[in-house]
Amino acid sequence: MVQISFVSRGITRTIDARGGLTLMEAAVQNGIEGIDAECGGACSCATCHVYVDAVWLDRTGSPDDFEAGMLEAAVGPRANSRLSCQIKLSETLDGLVVEVPAAQT
Amino acid sequence: MDAGLPAERPPHVPEDRVVDFDMYAPPGVKQDFHAAWKALQAPGVPDVVWTPRNGGHWIATRNRLIDEVFSDHERFSSRVILVPKAIGEQHGLIPTTLDPPEHRPYRTLLNSSMAPKVVGANEPRIRALAAELIEAVRRDGACNFTTAYAEILPIRIFLSMMDLPPGDAAQTKRWCDQMLRPDGSMSFEECMARLFDYLGPYVDARKGGDGDDMLSRMINGRIGDRALTRDEALKLSVQVLIAGLDTVVNFLGFAMLFLARNPAMSRELAGEPELMPAAVEEFLRRFPIVTIGREVARDMEYQGASLRKGEMILTPSVLGGIDERENERPMEVDFHRPTAAHVTFGSGHHKCPGAHLARTEIRVTLEEWLKRIPEFSVAPGKTVEFTGGIVGVVDALPLVWDVETTRSLAA
Repeated sequence: MVQISFVSRGITRTIDARGGLTLMEAAVQNGIEGIDAECGGACSCATCHVYVDAVWLDRTGSPDDFEAGMLEAAVGPRANSRLSCQIKLSETLDGLVVEVPAAQT
Repeated sequence: MDAGLPAERPPHVPEDRVVDFDMYAPPGVKQDFHAAWKALQAPGVPDVVWTPRNGGHWIATRNRLIDEVFSDHERFSSRVILVPKAIGEQHGLIPTTLDPPEHRPYRTLLNSSMAPKVVGANEPRIRALAAELIEAVRRDGACNFTTAYAEILPIRIFLSMMDLPPGDAAQTKRWCDQMLRPDGSMSFEECMARLFDYLGPYVDARKGGDGDDMLSRMINGRIGDRALTRDEALKLSVQVLIAGLDTVVNFLGFAMLFLARNPAMSRELAGEPELMPAAVEEFLRRFPIVTIGREVARDMEYQGASLRKGEMILTPSVLGGIDERENERPMEVDFHRPTAAHVTFGSGHHKCPGAHLARTEIRVTLEEWLKRIPEFSVAPGKTVEFTGGIVGVVDALPLVWDVETTRSLAA
């Protein structure tokens, strides 16, 4: 299992998710507030936007051009922004910490 | 079924890449749908193969490659997604046959109706219908799950989201069935014509209106700064209708068949409801049922094969989760797997927009069923059979149970 912590307005919620799911799917299935995932994971809406904690950036990787384009449309994009539907969970991400943008909650 | 003659192997396709595989009727499909497809992952079968069936086309046989093809719209276009290509060219529905960037504004039109928040708001209605359907058969001690439940719940929920009459279910389902698993009685063209004729009056009535139903919201959305045309509205609605009427319907059959044959696991799930989300995901991994494809966008070398522009390559979601390179003991259902990769809902820009609705319907179905009928099996002496196609199906699922072991619960 992959442990993930979602930090939202200072409060942390930690869940265990199955590897193979996307970060977005894990969030939605666990009812994490602020991850709306309106397009269902097609990289087409930017409502699954998260900030990846700095120490995890190299393991989550960088967005491709398409995702980067979508992130411009996200609310409050930062250098550590990702669309969580584009992050696939695996053991290398066990312990991942992401922040849900305040504007989304 | 492949009514055409086998295609001739083109010179650039080596002999050792050729398999005789008809996606509409793979050898052995009647006995076991997934085993029939798993043959493409047998030792010695290349990762990308070519079949002379259905006009001749490639097939990606491994989870990682299927994911890759789905995710790369520049090399693998959605312009045509069905084989035989001659049929696929007639499809042209929206947004399934559009590539980015054209694809996005149409996909966005689906969002408001399929988003998790909206599905969540619908959950009580789904649960109430599930309870009603199950209670209707509980005291009989037997049912054909396919007709008593699977063909009713997802379709009724879907038609109600579209605000279409529930009585239209049988007719619309028949046309969809003939598109996805043709038995020769209706041509693809005919099915499309019927679906367009069916939805036409509803589209006309609701265009420009302020209806809150999914059909109204889709067809009254904007593409950039303009309204959808009537043609676009029809193509979008027909695609969404097809997607909603056949997928969860059939998936439920596979999941329930498994539980009927594995009473220990039914008991485990009935006794530990918190396992349910993991169980649903594991069923999705083990029993994917959709096969779709992509059109090769340019000549390329791919996995050691020479692909030519315009050729079709299948991306069978069926082969994703059951790929042993991704998941150990892939044909075993294990609710406790720590990791399970699959592409049951596809991936990339066309990833199934109904995934959350599907997961919810599956979860609620199993929850409500097991609460009331925790022990059940396939009727003795009955053989369960399967049919292949764009969406695979359990033909009929006769279940039996001892009414004494059941519980009556209010919805």
